[in-house]
Amino acid sequence: MLMPPFTLHNPTTVEEACEIAGMLLEKGEDFDWVAGGTDLLPNYKWHINPKPHVISLARIDGTDTLSLHEIGCMARLVDLTAENGIHPLIVEAASKVASSLIRRNATIGGNLCLDTRCFWYNQGEDWRRSIDWCHKADCGTGADCRVIPNQNTLCVATYQGDIAPTLMVLDAEVHLIGPGGLRILPLSEFYQLDGMTKNVLKKGEFLLKVTLSEESAKRTGSYQKLRVRDSWDFPEAGVAASWIAGDASTLQIATTALESIPRCHPEEVAAILETGWNGMDSVKALAMSIRKVIKPVNNTSLPPRYRKSMVRVLTKRAVEKILE
Amino acid sequence: MSGGYRQQPGGAGGTTRKDGKRVAGKQAFPPPGSGGSKPKMGPRDLDYIPESVGGKEPQPAGSHIHDRARTGTSVGKEMPLVDSNAKVTGQAWYGDDVRLPNEVIGKILRSPHHYARIKSIDTSRVEALPGVLAVATGADSPHRFGVLPVTKDEHAMAVEKVRHVGDLVACVAAIDESTALEALNLFDVEWEILEPVFDPKKGLEDADEPIHWRGKYHLSKTNVQKRVFQEFGDRSLVEKPHAESHGKWKMSGVHHGFTEPHAVVAHWDPNGRLQLYTPQQVPHYTHRALSTVLDVPMHQINVIRTFVGGGFGGKSDPFPHEMCAAILSRKSGRPVRITFDREEVYWINRGRHPSHIEVKMTADEDARISGFDIDALIDGGGFASFGHVTSYYNGVLATAPYELGSFHYTGARVWTNKPASGAMRGHGAVNTRCAVEVGLDEMAETMQVDPIDLRLANLLPPHSRTISGFRITSNGMREALEKVREGSNWDQKFRQLPLGKGIGIGCGFFISGSGLPIHWDPNRFPHATVHIQVDMDGGVTVHTGAADIGQGSTTAVAQVVSEVLALPVEMIHVRSHESDTSPVDLGSYSSRVTFMNANAAIRAALEIRERLLNAAWDILGYHPDNLVLNDRRIYYKHDPAIGVSYLKALHKAQEDKGALISSGAYRSPPMGGVHKGAAAGLAPAYSFSSYVAEVDVDVETGMIKCTNVWAAHDCGKALNPLAVKGQIIGSCHMGLGQVLSEKMVYGRTGHLQNPNLLEYKIPSVYEMPHVEPIIIESCDPEGPFGAKEAGEGPLLPILPAVVNAVYDAIGIRLRDLPLTPDVVFKGIEKTLKRSDYDDPNDLPSPRLKHSPLQATLVARAQEHKIRDKARQRTEDTSPYVNGVLFGFDPNLPLEDQVEGWRTATEPDPEQLAKLGLAGRAWLKKEQRQMGGEQ
Repeated sequence: MLMPPFTLHNPTTVEEACEIAGMLLEKGEDFDWVAGGTDLLPNYKWHINPKPHVISLARIDGTDTLSLHEIGCMARLVDLTAENGIHPLIVEAASKVASSLIRRNATIGGNLCLDTRCFWYNQGEDWRRSIDWCHKADCGTGADCRVIPNQNTLCVATYQGDIAPTLMVLDAEVHLIGPGGLRILPLSEFYQLDGMTKNVLKKGEFLLKVTLSEESAKRTGSYQKLRVRDSWDFPEAGVAASWIAGDASTLQIATTALESIPRCHPEEVAAILETGWNGMDSVKALAMSIRKVIKPVNNTSLPPRYRKSMVRVLTKRAVEKILE
Repeated sequence: MSGGYRQQPGGAGGTTRKDGKRVAGKQAFPPPGSGGSKPKMGPRDLDYIPESVGGKEPQPAGSHIHDRARTGTSVGKEMPLVDSNAKVTGQAWYGDDVRLPNEVIGKILRSPHHYARIKSIDTSRVEALPGVLAVATGADSPHRFGVLPVTKDEHAMAVEKVRHVGDLVACVAAIDESTALEALNLFDVEWEILEPVFDPKKGLEDADEPIHWRGKYHLSKTNVQKRVFQEFGDRSLVEKPHAESHGKWKMSGVHHGFTEPHAVVAHWDPNGRLQLYTPQQVPHYTHRALSTVLDVPMHQINVIRTFVGGGFGGKSDPFPHEMCAAILSRKSGRPVRITFDREEVYWINRGRHPSHIEVKMTADEDARISGFDIDALIDGGGFASFGHVTSYYNGVLATAPYELGSFHYTGARVWTNKPASGAMRGHGAVNTRCAVEVGLDEMAETMQVDPIDLRLANLLPPHSRTISGFRITSNGMREALEKVREGSNWDQKFRQLPLGKGIGIGCGFFISGSGLPIHWDPNRFPHATVHIQVDMDGGVTVHTGAADIGQGSTTAVAQVVSEVLALPVEMIHVRSHESDTSPVDLGSYSSRVTFMNANAAIRAALEIRERLLNAAWDILGYHPDNLVLNDRRIYYKHDPAIGVSYLKALHKAQEDKGALISSGAYRSPPMGGVHKGAAAGLAPAYSFSSYVAEVDVDVETGMIKCTNVWAAHDCGKALNPLAVKGQIIGSCHMGLGQVLSEKMVYGRTGHLQNPNLLEYKIPSVYEMPHVEPIIIESCDPEGPFGAKEAGEGPLLPILPAVVNAVYDAIGIRLRDLPLTPDVVFKGIEKTLKRSDYDDPNDLPSPRLKHSPLQATLVARAQEHKIRDKARQRTEDTSPYVNGVLFGFDPNLPLEDQVEGWRTATEPDPEQLAKLGLAGRAWLKKEQRQMGGEQ
C-alpha cells in the first residue's frame, strides 16, 4: 500500500488553520483535515477519496484541553480513558474504542467526525474496481450504491463512532470554526443523515472543541457496545443512556453504529414517559420502541436483522445499568 | 510375536504378487525402526546408558530405539527456539526484508471479473511509460504448474481465462512502486465475461463453460475437480441402530491469517542462475515448479527460503507471483521484488475449504459405533491446489481413533469462481472432525451416557489398524481423555452447570507426516535427508532443507543432534535456507518435519558419533561398546576418569579425511492398504488429542466467550515441551477463530467482502481463554526419540469441544460455523418460538440421567484400559484390527469372516440414488465414458 502524494500543511494557530483553509477554498483546491490520522490515513492508503492537500491540527496549541466541561478536538482518546476529571460515561465509551495502540493516536475530534463505513467502500482500489466503484467513492463514474442498488441519491454507509452517543446523552455542544467564523450547536444537531455529507461541517470548517454544561456532570450514564472482539472492532451497534439519578424525566437515549448517523431518541423516551414511568416494564417498552425506529443496512460484519434485535437488548442493559 | 509386527492378518506366505509388487497391508512387517538404512529395532539394553546421563528417565511406553542415542543433553528440556533472538530483535529477514542492489518493484495486474476470457491484452501503453523495465503476460509462460503432479492447473499469469476476482492477468516491473502502480492502469485488456459459479452445489451440475477442462477425465461438463467414494466394513450393522445422530453442517472458509504477507525477490545472477528469495514452507516444490515454468534445469535455480512470518499451510503451494518475479527479473535484468497487500493475500488464499458436511452415525445396543456415514462437499475455488488430497482427508481422517463397524464416505471438491482453497493447519480433517465429535455427543445424549465414557469404550488400541487400513502405532488417546476429564473436573460439571454456562469435549486424530511423498516413489528416494559436518573447531553444521516456519523445526533438528553428540545446542548450527546447500526436503506440510527430518538428523549424528567413538578407541584402547560420549568428553564406562576430550577425539577422527561429514535419511516403512486412495491419510505415526472447553453464552445476545480449555495432546515425546505447549495454545487460538468468529464472507455479488485483518476477525487476546496444555507422551516406536507431531493435530479438538460446550450451556445444537453471535441468536430465537418460553433466560439447560448402558461402557472402558496398557508397552504384540470389538478374529481376513464386509472405492449402481450431496457427483460420467474425448 502506497500513500498517495499530498501536500501537508502544519498551522500552529487556529487562525492560521482557517487561513490556509480559506486560501485553498479560494484556489478551488480540495483538502482534508487530519487530527490523529487513524481514520483518514488508512483510507488514503487504500486510495479512498484522497485529496491533494491535508491540513494537520496536531501543532495547534491549546486544542487538547481536557476538563469536565471542555474537551479540545486534539485530546487523545487515551487521555479520555484515564481519570482526568472528565465524565465517567465518556471514559467508559473512550476505553471501548478500537485498541490501546489506536487510542494513543486517535482524538475526540477525529472520532466525532469519523468517516462513515461500509463493506463496499472500505476496501483497496483493486477491490473497488472489481465492483465497478460505489456511490461514496465513485472515481468519477457516477456509480450506484452497492448496498441498496438502483438508488444513487443517498449513501447508507454506517457511522461507527463510540463516543458521539455518550456526548449526546450528556447534552454536549460542539464548537465549529472556519473561515466564516465560529458557531456552536448541540451535538445532536451536528450529524446529517447521509453517509457522504455526514455532518453539518461546511467546507473549510473543523470541530474545535466539545463543551458540556454544568448540568451534565450530574448525569449518570452507561454505554453498551456490540462487537465481536473486545479489541479493534468498531461497534456493530451501540446504545448510550443517561439520567439524573432518580428523575425519569431526564432520561436520554442515543444509538450509534446502526445508521449513517448517531441519533438521540427523545420522542421514544417522551412517549414512554407519557404513559407514566414504571421501572423495568417501561425499560422493556422503551427498548422495544427504539428497536422499531432503527433501520440498519447490510454493510457491516453482523447482519442488520441481528443488529436491530440487539438494540432492544443493549437499550435494556444500558437503562438497567443506570437504574442500579 | 517375535517376528515383529503384522500390519494385517493373512497372506503370510504370499507377500508379493505375481508381478513382483508388494501386497500392501498383507505382509508381516519387521518391528518398527526409524526407517532409513537400519529399519529394524536393535536389541534393547536398558542398562546401556548410565542413569547419570539420562538413561533411566521415565519411559512412559517402554523402551525406544533411540534410547541408545540419549545422552540427556537437550531432548525433553524446555528451551527457546534457536532463531528466537533474531526474531525478537527484529533481525530475522523475512521476504520483504531482502534488498538487493538495483532492485526494481514488481506489481501484478489482477482480474476485476469473477470469470472472463481474455480476448486480448495490449501492453503498448505500459511499455511506453518511463520507468517501466519489463512487462509480462500469460503468453510469457504457457507451462502449467501446481503443487500436486496430478492437478497442475495454474499458470504464472492467466493464459486464456481468469477464474476469480484477483486472479493474475499480467505483471510489470518498474523503477519504483508508484510507477509500477501507475503502469497497472495502462494495460488495455479486452474481456469476454463468462457466467460465474459461486455456490458449490451448483458446481455439481453441468455448466456451459467449466472452470477447468480435464479432457477425457472431465466429469461430464460439471465443475467437479475430484470425487471420492470409500466404503469399508459391514454395512448391515447400520440398518437397525440402537441410537443415531444426523447433522448437516455448513462451514465457512477460513484463512491462515499469517502475519507476513507473501513477498518474493527474484534475481538472475551474473552466471545466469536464478536466485529466488521467498518465504516458503515448501521450497522444493517451488524449485520444481520454477524449473517447469521457466524452462531451465533445477540446478540453475537456487531457492532461498527467507524467514517465514507464519505459514500454517498458506505458503505451501508454488505461487504464480514467484513465477512472475522470476519472469520479470529475467526480462529486466534487474532483481525484482513483489510484496503483497493484504487483499492480495486473501485473493491467493489457499485457506480452509468452505464445506457442506453431512454426518450420520449409528450405535448398536452395546453402544459400539456401528457406522460413520460422511458426505463432504468442499468448495475449492478457482484452482486445484492441494484439493485432491483434501477431498480424501475429509473422510479418511475420521476413521480413527474409534473402532467402527462400518465406514462410508462420499466427497467432492468443486471449482468455483472464488480464490482457491488449499491446505491449512489440520488439512482436511478439521471440519469433518468437528461434525463427527459433535455427532458422538448427540448420540451419547440419546443413549443417556457420558460422552467421555462413550469414547473411552470405543477407542482403537495402540498398535492396531483402522478400518481403512492405517497403521496405528503409539496411541495416547485414552490417557488424553482421562487427563482432561480429571483436569476440568468434568464429572462435577457436565450437564450440571446453570443456563449459559457449558462444558464440552472434543477429540482429534492427525497424521504425523504423509506416508508417501508427493513427487516420487518412496522406495527410490528418502522423505528427508540431513547432512552433518564437523570441522576442527568442534562446531557442528547441520544442513537440512526443512523449512522453519515458526514451528521450530530448526530447533528440533539442533536438539536431536545435540542430544546424540552430547554437545550444547549452541554448538549446533543449522543451515536450512538455500537449496544449493540443503539436501532435498519435502517441506513443512502434513506435520512431517519433526518426525522425518529429525529422524534423518539422528541417523546422520549417529554416524558422526560412531566415528568419534572409534577415534577414542584408537586413543584409549577401549571398544566403543564400553565408551560413553557425554559432556564434550568420551570416557570408559567403568572408570570415568579414563577418557579423552571431545576435541581430541574429533581431531583424531579427522587425521585421514579432514572434516567429518555424514548424511542421514528417513523413509517411512511400507504400509497401508491397496485400494484406490489408500495412500491418502497414511502416515508412519498419528497424533491424538482431547480437549475440554468451558464457555459462557450470553443468551440474550448470543455472544460466546470461551473461558477455559484443558488441552491434552499426545505428541509421542515432547522434544521441547515449551514448543509443544506453544503449539497447543496457538492451535487453540486458531481453532477458536474458526469456531467463533473467522469467516471469509462472500457477498451477494460473489465478492470476498472482508479481505483485511479488521473485518476478518481473528480472536484478540481478550478472546483467548485460559489454556492448560497437557502433554501426553506415548513414545512412538518410530518417532525421533519417540516424538510425533504437535503442530496441526492440536487444532482439531477445540472446534467440537466449543460446539458441544455451547450445547451444554443452552441446549441448542448449532451446525453453522463460525458461531458468530447472530448464528447463536437465531438458534435461540428458533428454540423460543418452538417452546413456551418468551424470555431466553428461562430456557432449560440440558441434564443427564445415566441409562443402564453407562455401566456397560464404564466396564468396557476399564477392560480396554488394561488391554491398551499391555499393547502400548509391547507386552502384548498380538495383531489387532478394527473389527475385534465387533467379535472378529484379527488373525483372519475380515472379508472371510463376514459376508457383507466391503472395501469399495466406487458406489454400487443401487447405491447411487441414496448418496448424499457430494455423492451426487457419482451420478455423472467421465467424458471418456460418455463417448466424448478419448
